[in-house]
Amino acid sequence: MTIGYKIKKAIIYICMIVLALACLLPFLLMMVNATRSGSEIVTSFTLIPSTHLKENWETVFSFFNLFKGMWNSLVVAVPATLLGAYFSALTAYGLAMYKFKGNKLLFMVILIFMMIPGQLSLIGFYNLCTKLKLVNSYIPLIVPAIAAPGTVFFLRQYVLSALPPSLIEAARIDGAKELYSFHRIALPIMSPGIATMAIMGFIGNWNNYLLPMIILNKNEKFTLPVMMATLKASTDINSNQGAIYLAVAISVIPILIVFCFCSKYIISSISAGSVKG
Amino acid sequence: MKLKKLMALAMAGVMTLSLAACGDTAAPAASDAPAAEPAASEAPAADGEEAAAPAAGETDWSQYAGEKLVVWTLANDLIDFGERFQEQTGVEVETVVIEPANYPTKVQTALLAGETEPDIIVGEPQMLQDMYDAGFFADLDQFGAQDYADQIVDYIWQVGQSSDGVQRAISYQITPAGFYYRRDIAQEVFGTEDPDEIGKLFADYPTILETAKTLKAAGYRIFASDSELSFFSGDSAWVIDGKLNVSESRLAYMDLVVELYQQDLTAYAAQWSTPWYQAMSGPVPILTAETQWGTDDMNIWDAESFNAATEGMETTEVFAFGLPSWGVLTMRDNVGETSGKWGVCAGPAYGFSGGTYIGVSSYSEKQELGWEFVKFCTLNEDTANWWIEYSEGDTVSLLPVLEAHKDDENAVYGGQKLYAFWLEQAEGLDYSKVTKYDTAIGDAWGAAISNIKTGAMSKEDAIDEFYDQIEATYAGEITVER
Amino acid sequence: MGHSGHYIGGIDMAKAVSKPKKSNLTKYNRAGYFFCAPFVIVFLIFSVYPVFRTLYLSFTDAKVTTLNMHFNGVANYVRVFTDKYFWKALLNTVRIWGLNIVLQLGLAFLLTIVFSDLKYKIKGLPVFRAVYYLPNLIAATSIAFLFRTLLDWRYGTFNQIIAGLYKLFGMQYNPIDWLNTASTAGVAISVIQTWMWFGNSFIMLMAGVQGISKDYYEAAAIDGAGRWTLFGKITLPLLKPILLYVAITSLIGGLQMFDLPYLMSEKTSAAYSSVQTVVMYLYKFGFETGTTQLGYASAIAYALFLIILVVSIVQLKLVNKED
Repeated sequence: MTIGYKIKKAIIYICMIVLALACLLPFLLMMVNATRSGSEIVTSFTLIPSTHLKENWETVFSFFNLFKGMWNSLVVAVPATLLGAYFSALTAYGLAMYKFKGNKLLFMVILIFMMIPGQLSLIGFYNLCTKLKLVNSYIPLIVPAIAAPGTVFFLRQYVLSALPPSLIEAARIDGAKELYSFHRIALPIMSPGIATMAIMGFIGNWNNYLLPMIILNKNEKFTLPVMMATLKASTDINSNQGAIYLAVAISVIPILIVFCFCSKYIISSISAGSVKG
Repeated sequence: MKLKKLMALAMAGVMTLSLAACGDTAAPAASDAPAAEPAASEAPAADGEEAAAPAAGETDWSQYAGEKLVVWTLANDLIDFGERFQEQTGVEVETVVIEPANYPTKVQTALLAGETEPDIIVGEPQMLQDMYDAGFFADLDQFGAQDYADQIVDYIWQVGQSSDGVQRAISYQITPAGFYYRRDIAQEVFGTEDPDEIGKLFADYPTILETAKTLKAAGYRIFASDSELSFFSGDSAWVIDGKLNVSESRLAYMDLVVELYQQDLTAYAAQWSTPWYQAMSGPVPILTAETQWGTDDMNIWDAESFNAATEGMETTEVFAFGLPSWGVLTMRDNVGETSGKWGVCAGPAYGFSGGTYIGVSSYSEKQELGWEFVKFCTLNEDTANWWIEYSEGDTVSLLPVLEAHKDDENAVYGGQKLYAFWLEQAEGLDYSKVTKYDTAIGDAWGAAISNIKTGAMSKEDAIDEFYDQIEATYAGEITVER
Repeated sequence: MGHSGHYIGGIDMAKAVSKPKKSNLTKYNRAGYFFCAPFVIVFLIFSVYPVFRTLYLSFTDAKVTTLNMHFNGVANYVRVFTDKYFWKALLNTVRIWGLNIVLQLGLAFLLTIVFSDLKYKIKGLPVFRAVYYLPNLIAATSIAFLFRTLLDWRYGTFNQIIAGLYKLFGMQYNPIDWLNTASTAGVAISVIQTWMWFGNSFIMLMAGVQGISKDYYEAAAIDGAGRWTLFGKITLPLLKPILLYVAITSLIGGLQMFDLPYLMSEKTSAAYSSVQTVVMYLYKFGFETGTTQLGYASAIAYALFLIILVVSIVQLKLVNKED
């Protein structure tokens, strides 16, 4: 090809790489600064790591235990994701495969609630949790995942397009019970769709901030995002910017590691979500 | 509110903080010495005291055997108090620390739902009135609280009373504010380091502005941030009889902050930010509109050459910090090499900030035990003596103990007798200026000042905007007369 | 689930078969109730009840508690629709979201064009895609603190880099206080949002392009259509549904923006009134000490909902019209 073509191609590549650097640079600065002392960061900037990692580490962990926060986030996000995935699949299957009175109504309600912003019911939700004495408990963060209108909607469409009713009817003739058919026939067929929703759901649960902040009181129950947010109100840790960078780094690194291994699945599930949606 | 947290955590993180503060590139050699001292003194202090002190009071603790007190607080101090109470009495204490911004809401929801937990609740001055009115704090007079009235610093006792004059909460510390200033700089610029003389340099707003200019001419900055005066601002309450009250002194404060900022009289650090803390230990790089980073030959990609280049960069030292008495703890952890060169003097007005007022929940089923806990934390001389030692310089509210320590000399402040000073400041306090609206109104006023000082708005517009905001926030609750 | 499973299991197949077909089907269909029951129960408690409870509160004068509250008609709604700070917050939200969505979709679109270009055949899609997507995985709270610290006025790394670059060219840089200046704070948050989300949009658009059959392109190429013609006539129309989907979900999400602006602003800052979003305003009255007014907060929530509803209906109308 011509030289012009090659130059253009090179320029495109350079642009792509610059953009990639823009995505990575803040993380890089974060990691470098996590090893530097507050005064080093304040007076200068460099990409060469310094030697204050240990002090910063001690400052961070004297302030809060980030690993406890990660554990709490897991304790919330894993059950919420599993419950959400299973019951949404169950409901979607129920809506798609059976004609019962109220089916249409329920589907309509689901459609309407998909449009309702979560914050709409925030006050009422908190009010409810107070009455049920669920404040400072993980239940309001986990159990409502069972009723996720968006996921049900998505999976219902998935069932309709991917699961031929004849399969279930055949199973019925063979004497299979309804729940058995769901578990043995429908679930495997729905699993790609469920996985898509589960991955998105997990990321959402893991990063959720507003609701846990409102529901949780005790520091030892804080999930990672809520714990990180206490940095705003804290003053002593601010005497060392390096410690803030380190805290952010520690909160980010597990996700980076997971992403290194599963980026393919995550990305393909987003792709799937967009095409179906 | 930030202040409580600071104080509490300063204690929890004594060792690491001093390490971090001393990680200054300019003074690497000094970093080890101060770090070791607090670390060593922390644990033995508690043990030693325990052995020396008899069981607190004459209470028969066996009647409470197996009981448990639940404490909801907003700073970490009560964790230490709780542990000590448990050690000495055998009563189990569970302390829950809740973010100050959410604290009243959380307590409200719990108590209004009829929860018998927590047993012990606390409040900061601006929260208390609402909590009294809602009936959350049990009457302490029924347990004979008034017997102790003359043992506690007066303003603390009064803040702890609801409008009907019933004692409902008591604070273990007093929190009057003052200026922490550098004696060496004072000597050099003003020819004296005497706290009374230096106090005159902060006597009123115009004088402070003059002081600031004198200091700048001498190559120093009066403050690190422009928020140092906030504890002394306002000579009357924000809201009087349901009406917004913007007094002359608020306006004068506004003008002063704008002047300080626009004339480059501070070091432009944000209060509680890294450079603000660093200014306590010595020179900080001063970056103003006119000065720039580094020199021409610096290579930003090479740390060594960068450090070499920035060493000759313009720096300045900060003269004073405006903080309440618990600022002693902040300074202790951050002064580094300047230790011993500090002094404390009075501000332009009496001011105070924070203070954890401890009371008993009226929904608690263990109110008597709760009262024992309050008594233990606030009215017990052993505890007060222990706290002074354990916290390394916090100022307690118990008069006999303050009296006993009034000749204590604090080495960080060149041997100044701080307890006597704080007591004197506390005696001048007028607590009636505190309202429940203070946080929200103060924030809006701060935003108005920011708008003026950065040139985003004219003074008239900013004040109009402030009025609009208060009107919108408290529609039907506060009348705004312009 | 054991309960409903037991019931369904209780249907005797032999009996069922012996009955007429229609009632047979009805019997099977009854299982649908049990499949949907858990959802419905949780939904009623945790979604429907709070929505109506909030609606109820919005007609009361409830302050910090719901004790001693009184019905006060539409007073809260009158207040919210005449509250200039509510509208300001809405405007802020739309402005921050608007700039972000334009940048985000623009960038994603550009990338999609580049990567789907048949002539240049850009390689490395999986790697670039993963890198571009990375910021989206990180919790907004962590992102907020990272950028707060990087963007610090006189002591932040970002301004240090800019100053260094200026210096290289012999110029002076008067540092900008990005997060505390009214004109820059919103833009900074928009750009950070873009940084977080453009990878996500890019993946969605790319999935859409990959879903377009190669036949279209080949047929068009045989007809001698140029690259831009291909793009305008084939790619763009086929991507339209995905673009709309992204835009609509993004708007509903965008109107609920909270984490980043909340954590990256200070109440005493000059920029605060230009980054306060509707949900931050709601939070102020719903949960913050000293300003809690539950009735009013509930009305703000419903005002926001009404606005989202109107926007959604308009969007749907527009989509239908074009189809």
